[in-house]
Amino acid sequence: MAISLSKAEKSYIQAGIVGDPPHRSDGRALHDFRTVALETGVAPLSNGSARLTIGTVLRGGGGTEVLAATKLEVEDVKVSGVDGGRIVCSVTCSPAAYPHLSSGALEDLQYDMTTIVDQTLSHPSLRPSNLSIVKGQKSWLLNLDLVVLSDAGNVHDALFMAARAALWDTKVPRTLSIEYKAAAANRNAGGMEIDDASGLDTRQQPSIADFGLHDFWDEGEPLGGREAWPVSVTLNLISPIHYLDASAQEEAATPLRLLQAFSFSPSGTSLQGMRVLGVGELDAKTVKQGIEDGEKYAREIYTALNAKLKDEDVRRNQKASYRFARR
Amino acid sequence: MGSRVEILNEGGFRSDGRRQYELREVTIDLSQQGQADGAAVITHGLTRVMVSVFGPREAKSRSQTIHDRANINVEVAISPFSAGERRKRSRGDKRILEMAATIKSTFEPVVQTTLYPRSQIDVFVQVLQQDGGVLQACINATTLALVNAGIPLLDFVCAVSGGVYSTSPMLDLSLLEENDLPNLTVAVMPKTGKFTLATMETRLHVDRFEDIFKLVCSASQALHQEMKDAVRVRTTSLVTAMGTIQSNVGGDMMMDES
Repeated sequence: MAISLSKAEKSYIQAGIVGDPPHRSDGRALHDFRTVALETGVAPLSNGSARLTIGTVLRGGGGTEVLAATKLEVEDVKVSGVDGGRIVCSVTCSPAAYPHLSSGALEDLQYDMTTIVDQTLSHPSLRPSNLSIVKGQKSWLLNLDLVVLSDAGNVHDALFMAARAALWDTKVPRTLSIEYKAAAANRNAGGMEIDDASGLDTRQQPSIADFGLHDFWDEGEPLGGREAWPVSVTLNLISPIHYLDASAQEEAATPLRLLQAFSFSPSGTSLQGMRVLGVGELDAKTVKQGIEDGEKYAREIYTALNAKLKDEDVRRNQKASYRFARR
Repeated sequence: MGSRVEILNEGGFRSDGRRQYELREVTIDLSQQGQADGAAVITHGLTRVMVSVFGPREAKSRSQTIHDRANINVEVAISPFSAGERRKRSRGDKRILEMAATIKSTFEPVVQTTLYPRSQIDVFVQVLQQDGGVLQACINATTLALVNAGIPLLDFVCAVSGGVYSTSPMLDLSLLEENDLPNLTVAVMPKTGKFTLATMETRLHVDRFEDIFKLVCSASQALHQEMKDAVRVRTTSLVTAMGTIQSNVGGDMMMDES
């Protein structure tokens, strides 16, 4: 999928990685990540957003860059929605990220990425608790849009990290449900005596449910269970070893990649998604070992990402209150 | 609708606090983006556009080559979260194709395509935020990205939008104003004073056209200065960086000799 390399270049990169001690072109150890930079709140018209780069030198470009933003829409449960809300993810790739691909190939690529991200994140087990507005009537549809602005390898991990950051940043507006009921007097207009307490009364209670927005100083409350949004880790397999965070060249020289998405919550760790990318065969032992190692790496990513996200929360809230105080 | 927003109040201020002929704040970022040969991010107020330029290079398909000049290929993508209402436009969307065609025809007379026969210049436009004046932002960012990529141009192309409220002309409309007022976008080559684009999607009284048009042309001079300064800062920083590398290399060689 990435750039094309000659056989000689591929074997050179592979030999470097498998060698003892291992050598990578940028001098990293096998399980080192490039620098990851993250900023939340980058799209002012969205409910939550994040920009994430892997391996970008300051003002120098050359890394993987992903932009993620969420937008909430009100949806009628009876028409198209699901009671309790739903999440739809979509990935678009800027042609600038893949300048060598034709538009057809680009479309296929973004479809693949959309499938992986959407199937993992829209699963009911991860659905936030506060996407419902009026039970059985109205709910929020959360659209998560990811844009790949440039790809210098390891785009899947970047996508999941950016998605997690944008979802973490998402604020759901507070709503008040309002219910209108027809007055009881109208119902016995015929002058008949009606016992209101009767359990056998099967006539429909005419009621309409709607909602209003709470007038409050902030934009709303964060998504419920936001700790649980998964992080992914891609193990690049060159038997007998694996390494992390491949650059574009290394990706092209690696026959097989094992992508895993882990969700960490107080109740325990769960594997939310797994893909084998590339062609080749994989024995069960490698997969088993891979999951064990993957969980370890994912936990490190999760801890680091959480620290950064909390940092961003503080930065933005303090900045906001400082600005407000200066008015 | 009692609480209707006033486009231009009695004090001569617009809804966002600007004066009639005031442009929104422009910021230009010419730093490297990904693998692009030249890139630019421009913001006009809350409108934000990123353009990456690749080329001149060999065309992906043979059919796209022209035997005596370079082909300019423009692709526009609008981020679904860039507007107030989420809307996902696919690559084949008519609106997007039209915008790409407009940008292409704006730059065809300016880029010296005859210098690169049988090659292709790719211009990828990514709209990140929209608040009125998307086309002008796209054109200005494309100019800067082309300059940044070192592609020979006859002149800068500076685009500004203008509209008219009752009888008073206004510059650089925001989305709110754009929805309510007749408006046009003009792309000017500031040195020669020629223009390569004048487009309008609304109806405008003939008598008002000249006023706005002249106003927009003079506004483009101000924008030209802004863009020129940004390019100068970027080039100076590159030259300085190259200077340090060269003097380092020179120093090493001196050491070797001694």
